[in-house]
Amino acid sequence: MIFGRKNRNFTDSALMQQIVSGDQTAFGELYNRYKDRMYYYFYRMLGNSADQANDFLQELFMKIVEKPQSYNPSYAFHTWLYSVANNMCKNEYRRRGIRQEYHQYEALEPGIDLPSETTIDPGQLIEKVFQTLDQLGEEHRSAFLLKYREDFSIREVAQILGLPEGTVKSRLFTARKILAEKLNYLKDEIEF
Amino acid sequence: MNKKNPDQLYSQLLQNDQVGAPDRGIEDRLMYSFMLKSAHSKVRQNSFSNFFGWLLSFQSLGLKTGLVSVVFFLSVMNNQLSLTPGSKDDSEKVSQQRVLVADTTSFIQNLDSIRTDSLN
Repeated sequence: MIFGRKNRNFTDSALMQQIVSGDQTAFGELYNRYKDRMYYYFYRMLGNSADQANDFLQELFMKIVEKPQSYNPSYAFHTWLYSVANNMCKNEYRRRGIRQEYHQYEALEPGIDLPSETTIDPGQLIEKVFQTLDQLGEEHRSAFLLKYREDFSIREVAQILGLPEGTVKSRLFTARKILAEKLNYLKDEIEF
Repeated sequence: MNKKNPDQLYSQLLQNDQVGAPDRGIEDRLMYSFMLKSAHSKVRQNSFSNFFGWLLSFQSLGLKTGLVSVVFFLSVMNNQLSLTPGSKDDSEKVSQQRVLVADTTSFIQNLDSIRTDSLN
């Protein structure tokens, strides 16, 4: 308990250094800091599957257990962790053989008219958002999640995805535009 | 109707999204793996397997040959230095040791002579 309290004051990078030297409580603290966020990321990136999200979460932290020294302390830990997670998702997509291009968005379902704000269920709306993002492809979905769920800056998203900032901005703009087109409710709500 | 900034709207939408929590068993499995890994690394730290592995391998042959040559040279030079004139040789050392060992036979003989004297 005492050690747990002590570890709460450490930065992620400091915890990683302790993990390299074999500190198990530091690992527990780091896991508890990120487990929910990473679970959400995997859940939404891998087709809303709880089983897969759990498997990928375990695999991600197993990488830290096995090779903690692969983290370079001169970089922000969260950026590094999300870039590892994103690479895992990309590998999974490659394994599944899913390849979706932007031009496919033309084949999306027609716009969804949702009723007025008072009757709309946020859960239903978010599912519609992710259905649209799924059809756009994982490149757009990852940028969208990192920006709006994790509240990362454009620069951080670019670092995580290994892309120029302009590409990230372009993907976010495309995602927003298509969401507004496909979800007519949002079109009334948002100003462009 | 007041239109919202799209960034605000999507942030609000996604940050309120709940998809449940990860399986609790994951933490236990990770902790167990961490414990196993750190136990393994501690054993390795205390073992000499790495050193003997290096010693018996073909790596750094030049360095090993150099070390053996230095040890051999030092041992030869050490013997030569100990045989310099004026120093005591081995036989002398042994004789000195013999003097230092208690001569129990003469001690017993002395006791017998004392006893014989007292009887007479």
